[in-house]
This record gives sequence, structure tokens and C-alpha cells, in this order.
Amino acid sequence: MSFSLPYSRHRRYLTGIDWIMGAIDYGARGANGFGCHSQAILDLEGMVDEGPLRAALDQIARQFPLLRGRVARDWLNLAPYWTTPPADSLPPLPLNVVQVSSDDQAERLLDEHANARFGSESDHLRFLLVQIGQAASRLGMVFDHRLLDAFGAESLLRLIDQTARGHLDEIAPRVRQTEPAHLDHWQRRFLSGRTLNRYLIGLGKQSICALDKPRSQPRPSVRFLHDGLTAEQTADFNRRATEEIGLPIILPSAAARAIIALKQTIPIMPLAGEQLTLFTTVNTRLPGQEWEKLLFNQLSLMTFSAGASGSSSAAQIATGLRDQFVDQTRLQIPFVMEDAAALGRICPHWIGSRLMRLVNDGRLCTFYFVCLRENGYAGDCFLGQPVTNLRHKPLTFFPPGLNICMTSFAGRFNLVVSYLEGSLPDSVAGRLLKEFKAALLE
Amino acid sequence: MADAPNLEAIQRELCSEIQTIMSLESGSVTTQTHLPSLGMDSLRFVSLLLAIEKKFGVNLMKGGLKPDDTRTVPNLAAVIAARRAQVAPRRDA
Repeated sequence: MSFSLPYSRHRRYLTGIDWIMGAIDYGARGANGFGCHSQAILDLEGMVDEGPLRAALDQIARQFPLLRGRVARDWLNLAPYWTTPPADSLPPLPLNVVQVSSDDQAERLLDEHANARFGSESDHLRFLLVQIGQAASRLGMVFDHRLLDAFGAESLLRLIDQTARGHLDEIAPRVRQTEPAHLDHWQRRFLSGRTLNRYLIGLGKQSICALDKPRSQPRPSVRFLHDGLTAEQTADFNRRATEEIGLPIILPSAAARAIIALKQTIPIMPLAGEQLTLFTTVNTRLPGQEWEKLLFNQLSLMTFSAGASGSSSAAQIATGLRDQFVDQTRLQIPFVMEDAAALGRICPHWIGSRLMRLVNDGRLCTFYFVCLRENGYAGDCFLGQPVTNLRHKPLTFFPPGLNICMTSFAGRFNLVVSYLEGSLPDSVAGRLLKEFKAALLE
Repeated sequence: MADAPNLEAIQRELCSEIQTIMSLESGSVTTQTHLPSLGMDSLRFVSLLLAIEKKFGVNLMKGGLKPDDTRTVPNLAAVIAARRAQVAPRRDA
């Protein structure tokens, strides 16, 4: 027997990963005052004109009113859903334009832009165009993770460019905006819930290393450090990673380098615990689904662990992480999470957030790790200007307060360490990034 | 090993398995398909290896794979057949 909530054009029930992201967002707001959001940045040659950019944003806002939607709940069963407001009542998407004379000034403004809170429950996107004289521009887009994941954010930047070229009408019908609630297959969902429960209990038994929450600032901001690999270094790493674990996947080798970097930095870092545990997301879109699955989260979640002490080599750690990857896939963890969350979504986000905090006192991981080998932009120009880079500034919140991120653009890896101000000294974060890059190049 | 599938049967099974994992239409993966161009992500690739383990009884993760092994269906099928041949005498013994 199955039962589905009625399908509506104006509401999208938050199932699976979207429900989990909603609960994480709720917990993040409680801990730090800001929700779960990130910034994607396009580095551009030449000066991007404000007029065409504003026109493209207005067209997109009219076409997709759900970009200004908000989370509400059914009065009967509390199921959270995303509302879509009427298109004619919406203000334009916020865009600020500033002129500066140097890269440093631009980066400072982008940092401030990334750290600002959204003004209302209906704000999920904001843009900052920084013109550095006539020679270069930066476009920062802060996005709410309840609405877009990192790959989706890159695709949205692509959509802005395609809109300016007059292609919005052909792309828009392909973007899926609402979905039925899928309150069916109860037995499968209960079994998934049991599997996930056992997995979380296992995770909760570990003594996970974690940073302490900074006490001095009630609302700390997030700091970002950025570096990158050249195309040759990236290709070389990809080749070595494949040889190292005997499979054409790079996540275990990349994560192993992040763990090595953390181990090198531990003596000067306020971390206590026996296990270094990282929490990561895996993009689940199939090729060709970038428009259909533009919105909301198309992800699976996975965790990996390695001992905090001991002197294992990067290759040994990578092999261990590969085995954990295979074991979690064998247990269907990335898939049961989706199923189980669909079952749990009938409870409000604050209960979900509390449940997550029960696992190891809220310490699910030592740090977040992002490894995006593909990017959703798939273009080399934006509004007629050449794109030199596409990078991210992911905000992190407590716990864990630390994020190590590698994203790809034009065959090059961008490396970012982001951390909660006051959770570790700036010099230590700098050393962590340096060690991470060095480990990737070894 | 009288019931061991031949190379062609392995290739057919592989094509079918890849189509299922990548949600592709029947007949869209052939022996000519360049597998990296399908854009299989790490999760789906590991799912394919687990399906191979279940179907053919060989664990390709243990022995490892070279980049060439995963370029086409015939290459992957040849590795499966070779690993099966290695496993079979041990089982018989």
C-alpha cells in the first residue's frame, strides 16, 4: 500500500538529502547564527558590464520564482516543504557592484560578502560584482545550500551566461522545480532507517577528533585560504591517485592527503581524540542532468576515518579509505541515507538537528571534505569575458569548524581551507593548506 | 568450469549492468563504447565493481585495475575472464 502527498506546482516537499540539509541548516543557525551557505566565485578577464548581468538575473528570477521561496511545514503532519511564491510579487535578486583597484581589496570584499547573513527567510542568493579597473572582474554568488549544492551553483552561473545569450527559454522547461512527496515503500524505508541507525551508532562509538567551539565570539565569521595546482600538477595527481589505489577514482587519495596534512599540523592544533573523521558529499547527477537537476541537493553523504596517531603513508591511508568507500557502497549507505531521511522528514528540522547532535555530542566529523573533480560551469566565457577560474568559499560551522575543499576548473584543482575564526590560529590554517598542497604534489 | 561464461557473454552482461547503473537505454552501451566518456562517477564505478563481484565472483578491487582496463567493455571483460581463470584453479584445488 502506498500513499503520496498531493503534487503541487507551488510546493516541493523536502525529502532525502534536502531534508538532511534543512536539519543541518537549522543546527548551523543555532550554533553560529548563519545557516548552511557557500560562495562560488568566477574570476574573469576584462570588465563585466552590470546591465546585461542585471537583466539576466531578472529574467531568471521571473522564470524561477522558487529561488525566492521559503521553507514551510504542513499543518497536519509537519512535513517541511519549499514554497514557490507568485512570480509577479518578487523583488529582483540582489546584486551589488563595486569598483576596486587591487586583487587584495576584491578578495576582502568577497570574504565579507560570503560571511554576511541572508536578510530574510526568502533570500537564498545574492551577487557581488567586483570590477578591478578595466583589467579584471570577480563575480561572487552566495547560495543557500538548501536550494543548491556546489555543482548546481556552478550550473546556475552557467545559466546566467546562457540567459544573456538568449537561451533561457529552451533551458527552463528542462529544470525540474517540484516533485511529488513519495511517501511510499515504507518497509524499504524502515530497513534503510535501521541500517543507517546502526551505522551512526558505530560512528558515535569512535573518539572523533574535533576542534573546540571558539568561546570569545558568539557570532564568529569564517576565514578562507586559497591555493591551487597547475593543470600539469592536477593531471599528475590524477594519474598517481589511480595507480595508488588501482581504481580510476581520486576521492580516497585526495582525502588521504588531507588527513596527512592534518596529522602534520596536529602538534600545533587544538585537536583531541583518536580518530580523524571526515564527512564528504558525492555528486549523484548523471551526465546530461545538469539542467534537470539544477536545483536542490543531488548528493550522497559519506564518512571516512583514519587513526590520528601512527605514521601510515599516504598510500596506506588511501587504500584504507578506498576499502571504506567500497564497504559503505556495499552497505548501500549513500543510498539508504536518502531513503531513511525520506522517512524521517515528517519530523520538524529542529528534531532532526537534535538527533544529529546525539551522535558523539554533535561531533560527526573532524572536518568537512569536498572533492569535485567535474565542474558544472562547462564554459570558458561569462557575458563575453574569458573565465580564468571558478572557485568556492565554503562556509563552515561548528561542529566541525573546519573545511578542506578541492574543486576543479579547466583541469586545475583549487584548494581551499575555510575555518571558523578563533577555532584555530591563522598561522596553523596556513600551514594546513601548505601541507595539503605539498602532500598532493608528493 | 564448464558453466563459465565466455567472453561474449561477459561483455553482454557488462553492457547491461552499465546501462542499468547509468540509467541508459537498452543498447546504448556496446563493445565500441568509450567508457570514460560515459562520465561514470566514483560511486557508480564502485557500484559496477560490486555488481561484477556478485555476478562473476571476482573482486577487481583487490588486484587493482590499470587505466586501459576500464576504457572499453572488451578490455574490462578480458580482465574479468583472466581473474576468473586465476580463481578457478585455486577453487578446484
